[in-house]
Amino acid sequence: MRPITDDIGRHLEVPETIIRIVTFAPSATELVYAAGAGHKLVGVTTVDDYPPEIEALPRFDALPLDFEAILALEPDLAIASEQVNNPNDAATLTSLGVPVYFLAVHTLQGLPETIRRAGLLLATEAAAGRMADSLEHSMQALRTVTAGSLSRPKTLFLIGDEVLYAFGKGSYIHDLIALAGGESLSASFSNRAPILSGEYVLLARPDVIVGAFGEDYDPARLLRIHPTWDLVPAVRHGRVYGLDGHLYLRPGPRLVEGAWRLAAQLHPSLFRQTP
Amino acid sequence: MNRFHILLPLALLAGLVSIVVGVSVGVDLGRGEVLRVLGHHLSFGAWWTPEATADRIVWQLRMPRVLLALLVGGGLSIIGAGMQTLVRNPLAEPYILGISSGASAGASLFYLGFLPPLISKALSMPMAAFLGGLMAISIVYVVARTRGPRLSVARLLLAGVAMAALMASITSFITLSSPDPDKLRVVLFWLLGSLHTATWSALPLPAIVTLAGLFAMLVLARPLDAMLMGDEPAANLGVPVEVIKRILILLAALVTGVLVAVSGAIGFVGLIIPHAVRSIVGVTHRRLLPVCFVAGALFLLWADLVARALLPSEQLPVGIITAICGVPFFLFLLRRNQYGYG
Repeated sequence: MRPITDDIGRHLEVPETIIRIVTFAPSATELVYAAGAGHKLVGVTTVDDYPPEIEALPRFDALPLDFEAILALEPDLAIASEQVNNPNDAATLTSLGVPVYFLAVHTLQGLPETIRRAGLLLATEAAAGRMADSLEHSMQALRTVTAGSLSRPKTLFLIGDEVLYAFGKGSYIHDLIALAGGESLSASFSNRAPILSGEYVLLARPDVIVGAFGEDYDPARLLRIHPTWDLVPAVRHGRVYGLDGHLYLRPGPRLVEGAWRLAAQLHPSLFRQTP
Repeated sequence: MNRFHILLPLALLAGLVSIVVGVSVGVDLGRGEVLRVLGHHLSFGAWWTPEATADRIVWQLRMPRVLLALLVGGGLSIIGAGMQTLVRNPLAEPYILGISSGASAGASLFYLGFLPPLISKALSMPMAAFLGGLMAISIVYVVARTRGPRLSVARLLLAGVAMAALMASITSFITLSSPDPDKLRVVLFWLLGSLHTATWSALPLPAIVTLAGLFAMLVLARPLDAMLMGDEPAANLGVPVEVIKRILILLAALVTGVLVAVSGAIGFVGLIIPHAVRSIVGVTHRRLLPVCFVAGALFLLWADLVARALLPSEQLPVGIITAICGVPFFLFLLRRNQYGYG
């Protein structure tokens, strides 16, 4: 056994060689694959759906964690997400002999480093390093593209359209929006998951409203629910876009792809020019 | 008598002031902008042209919300008062008798798509809430009936608490088994009780139902007074006790159902307000009901105001505030005042 510290500062002991791992959140699964250790997974939660390779893996309930099903998979290590999982559950599992490592992605810039650390933990440094480098290049390329635009549209990122859940202070989503060439409006809320009021949105005048509502979202629905928003620039200029929530709500490697797709919505002209 | 005649105009004045304060609280719109919007609309657009965004915020978002707060607070209070007369026990309230929970269960069943829309979407949800509330209170009532026409109060309250727990479990079950996480978040927020969905077009239904409820109960004020003395004395006075009890139950389910459908389950208003009002104007329904309506309306308006002032750019469910402000006040009143029924 070797002592290590995970991303949220918990001390734990993990076996010298880790062969069987389980993940407790879809973002953790995606990070494990990004770190090149997907082949070591022996079980994922019932809500996991990416990447396609996990189809054949055994499943267990995530909320609440099905401890019995997890123990039956005999994992050497469980990987949890700081965003979703509860450290108390981790304590229970540790006492049952399964150490739990928490991964945390607080900023988009920190994502490659998180993947490198996961590679170090799971003895797949080379693959993790390649993925981290490639994500860094991709982010740098996007930064170069969006730097060519003079406008930084004020962007409101919503998680719900009826009850206006949004991202508050300290979320990676604000980095993602900045990288995509926008200015995130809800970054100033001290609450990490604020529920915005309708009048805030009217006064904040977002140029673009994007929501994790799915790509088939009908923008007219937003105006139906909030009829007073016809004055909001984003609504008036038809700049309300539904996005694939999996690319934004999971703090994992696909955030970078999400940033590219968002950039294409924020700056359509830049992307028409590039071949 | 005199107290009542002074109190009602005072309450109406307080109502007007509260409405103005109510539409002024929230995100900062700049000095005088709120008054400009109010002046513009009260002069039917003749004077003052407000800035468009401020107009939307004050007139389209805050005003309906303030009016809805008044309706919901007033409606829940008179129903609370009616329920307390029905069982001649101060513990009765739509929440405690299981009506609110039944209505929540009915409304969430509909919202999450487990029930087909019958008429239109706007009417189906209140309908589902009404039927849920009616079912809950009917079962509670049947359980509480002893041999003969009399009600066992202990059974009624116990059955109510049990029914509330059962309905809350049903709501949790259907909410958590819903496949749609977005709808789940909406329902969880709505269950805490919130007025944020208020729009002008959503106001007529709760307004008609609540005011009709108040009117019906005022018509019944004398028989209700008689019932405070007990079923037999009331029957001896010629009051059709059983009929009135059924009307009260139906009214309670109807008003609570419609209000729950628009604002979620807001607790404690129906419990606290009638008590506070009885200790001031006495138990006679002709006075109790109108004052209850105004007091409950103002209470909820101010509770919502506190919620909006605390987090102006965010939404804080008002149900949290009614419990936090209301319960200590209620406990204080319980300790301080005493009054009898009849």
